[in-house]
Amino acid sequence: MKILVAEDDQLMLKMLEFRLKKDGHEIVVTHDGREAVAKLEEFKPDLVITDIMMPYLSGLEVVGAVKKKYPHGTPVIILSGMGQENVVLEAFQLGADDYITKPFSPNELSVRVHRFDLSITK
Amino acid sequence: MSWQTFILHVFTYGILLYSILLLVCYVCIGAFSISETRTYLNKNSFTDYRVLASSTEAPSISVLAPAYNEGTTIIENVRSLLSLHYNNLEVIIINDGSKDDSLEKLIDAYDLYRIDFFVNAQLATKPVRGVYKSRNPVYRKLIVVDKVNGGKADALNVGVNIAQNNYYVCIDVDCVLEQDALLKLAKPFLENATERVIAAGGVVRIANSCQIEGGRLVKVNLAKQFLPRVQTLEYIRAFLLSRMAWTRLNGLLLISGAFGAFDRDIVIKCGGYNSETVGEDMELVVRMRRYMEERDEPYRVSFIPDPLCWTEAPSTFKILGRQRNRWARGTIETLRIHKKMFFNPNYGLLGMLSYPYWLFFEFMAPIIEFFGTIGLIIYCLSGPINWSLFMIMLGVLSIGVLYSIFAILMEVLTYNQYKQRKDILRLVLVAILEPVIFHPFVVWSSIRGNFDLLRKHNGGWGEMTRQGFATEKKTVTKLL
Amino acid sequence: MFLAKLLILNEFLPVAYFSRVHYQVIVMLSIAGLIISLLVYMLFYMYFKSKHEKKHDKWRLISDLLIHRAVFYDAEEEDIDETEAQAAIAATARAKKLMHNKHSRKFVTGEILSAKKNMTGTASDNLKQLYQQLGLDKYALKSLKSRLWHIKAKAIQELTVMEMSEYVNQLYAFTNDQVELVRMEAQTAIVQFNGFEGLRFLDIITYPISDWQQIKLLQQLAHVPPVNISIDGWLRSENNSVVVFALKLARNYHRFELHDDILLCLDHADQNVRLEVINYLCEIYTDDTTDELISRFLKEDFKNQLAMIKAMQNIGSEKDILFLLSLLDNESHEMKLTAARALAKIGKSGLASLQGHALAKSYPLNEMVLQIKGELAA
Repeated sequence: MKILVAEDDQLMLKMLEFRLKKDGHEIVVTHDGREAVAKLEEFKPDLVITDIMMPYLSGLEVVGAVKKKYPHGTPVIILSGMGQENVVLEAFQLGADDYITKPFSPNELSVRVHRFDLSITK
Repeated sequence: MSWQTFILHVFTYGILLYSILLLVCYVCIGAFSISETRTYLNKNSFTDYRVLASSTEAPSISVLAPAYNEGTTIIENVRSLLSLHYNNLEVIIINDGSKDDSLEKLIDAYDLYRIDFFVNAQLATKPVRGVYKSRNPVYRKLIVVDKVNGGKADALNVGVNIAQNNYYVCIDVDCVLEQDALLKLAKPFLENATERVIAAGGVVRIANSCQIEGGRLVKVNLAKQFLPRVQTLEYIRAFLLSRMAWTRLNGLLLISGAFGAFDRDIVIKCGGYNSETVGEDMELVVRMRRYMEERDEPYRVSFIPDPLCWTEAPSTFKILGRQRNRWARGTIETLRIHKKMFFNPNYGLLGMLSYPYWLFFEFMAPIIEFFGTIGLIIYCLSGPINWSLFMIMLGVLSIGVLYSIFAILMEVLTYNQYKQRKDILRLVLVAILEPVIFHPFVVWSSIRGNFDLLRKHNGGWGEMTRQGFATEKKTVTKLL
Repeated sequence: MFLAKLLILNEFLPVAYFSRVHYQVIVMLSIAGLIISLLVYMLFYMYFKSKHEKKHDKWRLISDLLIHRAVFYDAEEEDIDETEAQAAIAATARAKKLMHNKHSRKFVTGEILSAKKNMTGTASDNLKQLYQQLGLDKYALKSLKSRLWHIKAKAIQELTVMEMSEYVNQLYAFTNDQVELVRMEAQTAIVQFNGFEGLRFLDIITYPISDWQQIKLLQQLAHVPPVNISIDGWLRSENNSVVVFALKLARNYHRFELHDDILLCLDHADQNVRLEVINYLCEIYTDDTTDELISRFLKEDFKNQLAMIKAMQNIGSEKDILFLLSLLDNESHEMKLTAARALAKIGKSGLASLQGHALAKSYPLNEMVLQIKGELAA
């Protein structure tokens, strides 16, 4: 599966990349919201994983951009330190498909990513 | 003793006393700044600001950004304000009657529509033409206000009226903020259980020659041109030394209008920004402090030394001269409005130390320097040529240089924004050149500010006083 | 400036020419000396700092490697036994060497901490092991004994983030430490290790808990399983900040059974406590709650009055309509607007009585009604 990851924390980004590659996915990493939206066109990912608090464009705007571009495909998983109810609700209202709060378990992420994989192959 | 020698003696001893006091101030500022900075850095070294970003209990903040003819950059600037790391936030852009297409651009870019909004005019302002919000839920934090032009103070007052939150942060829309700026600025309001924090100031740094992309600072560079470079040094000296020291004493009088946080409730109670003065940022802080002193409530004005806000400094003598002229007028006007506090023990440290310091060393320094220099020149020309005059000038200047070098050292030891050794050496060179090339110009601009104000007095004094006192009266009645 | 005048002064004083020159030279030399020594110190400092920073890349490489291996080492998946797992996680000799140097140790510790803060589950457990195998816990323990408050506080925080629960006993004593930062970190630590039970320190603390600390504690509690501990004792604490914190707990964890106890706090002497009670009642309420608020309305100051009416935007019902209508001619616009909004949120009957009010046709209420209708539609 082709996954686009947007995350501004270097260490986190590296670990996400490492883990998801190990699971056999093709990964493109981006360091902020603007870069993520720009890469969308060129990379055409099957899944987007994004942080919320990022430079230039927030993760919620990334969700908006993905959903506008691919109204029916390309699910988005939010991976954020913000667990406040209003933020989570807003993310889902904007069309996010899953929401994981940090601190998170990489194993759990892997399973959640896999779920979206199955839905595509079906 | 002839009368000439007598006058000369009085003059000399007066100046001597003044110089000793100034030197004492330098030393004290240095010492207090070191201790405050050290405490802050130690505390800051293990503070996790993310706690605030992800908590539902974080205080709500309104960001107020007045804009006047900023059409070329406003879209990007607003976008970067919206991406600031803070959840409980509303961003209020106040279009102060811009003559360009700022408003249309905003409406277009953010899909705005005019909403019905009752403006609770707790502060009197120029009329509001409309309040706009976005149809797109991603921009739910954004509010755009369109109003009749009335200047910065008036625009900020409109913002204060419209803001819904307990605290507000005012910023210049062309400033570049660090992502965590609000988290850091909000913290002082939560820290103190015994004193009420009424305002928190932030550092403003010079952004000239820095690499800025999409409203965000990518790389810090030392300004390439001479003028912005000297101002870099000036700002380091002012923020890292002077304001830190005053914070230690809880006697800070000035929070830069470009970046500061305020308790909205108290701002409203003491009447908001004064649009009659060009120094509305300083005047407000002084008035807020005065308000708290008069009610005898324990309070504090806090200050965050982290470099969080970057702004473009004037790079021509013309604009710089105008700015310094304005600053001088702002200082005088503020001091005049609050002259009641001068050595008034009822106002504690504020009346006994902060106010006199500003009067003697911020307002009078340029005047004394100006006339002192003229006096020296006359003395030098009238008598036989005195070789030691050369030494005298050198001595005066070198103490100033010493103070600057100390400021640069503090910068290197703390935030060290200019990583290259070359840049630091350039700053040192600037510190040596400043007293000769830059400082006389600043003094001259201040003198012109004084002169402009005086001329206004003689020409339109009646009108000025009436308005000036009217505002004061309004404030006083609100205090009672 | 100072020097200048001093020297002019000399012109008029009967001082020998020689001593005047001598004096000037000494003053000048000492200023120059000070400038030069500051500059030299600065240059040396920069030199050593850049030397350290050059090593950062190397350190980052090593620590990233360590963290990767720890985080992604999955014992079940690779089907090897416990001891081998230990060995794989174990740091290389090279990494251990890094631990002897203060700067590199600090760097690696920082990287492990920031990874740990983002992880849970196996990954987090593995990071804990890595931390201990590098012996970093021993260094933190040593720092606990430091005389400098910030080193002590930092060490407590480090042990907390790394979940070194075996050292919890050494931290209790710090929860009422005289240095605020130390007791804050210690309180956070106890809550991390003992969950809600750890809040027992609230019984004894004499210092106020700042809002910042309350936010931190609530955040920490969010990561532990909720337990129904008894809060009502703290509601009667002499320490007002403890009462406020207890109220926040009751609100966050929806403690309905405390409703009546908390209602009593509406008559508390401290204004902030009463405000927090109103915030609680805004979420946990019964049919009579608004009556209780209304009966105390006139006794409150403006800020709390406003908070009461804001609460009624949530919990108001038809029986409150008359009271809310009476606020529409309040002298404060903010109060009018809040009351009007509360009316509108009660439902059709509320909105109808708002629009039917005598003042509703004229300014300012007409504009307020328009705004509120817009808000409801959005």
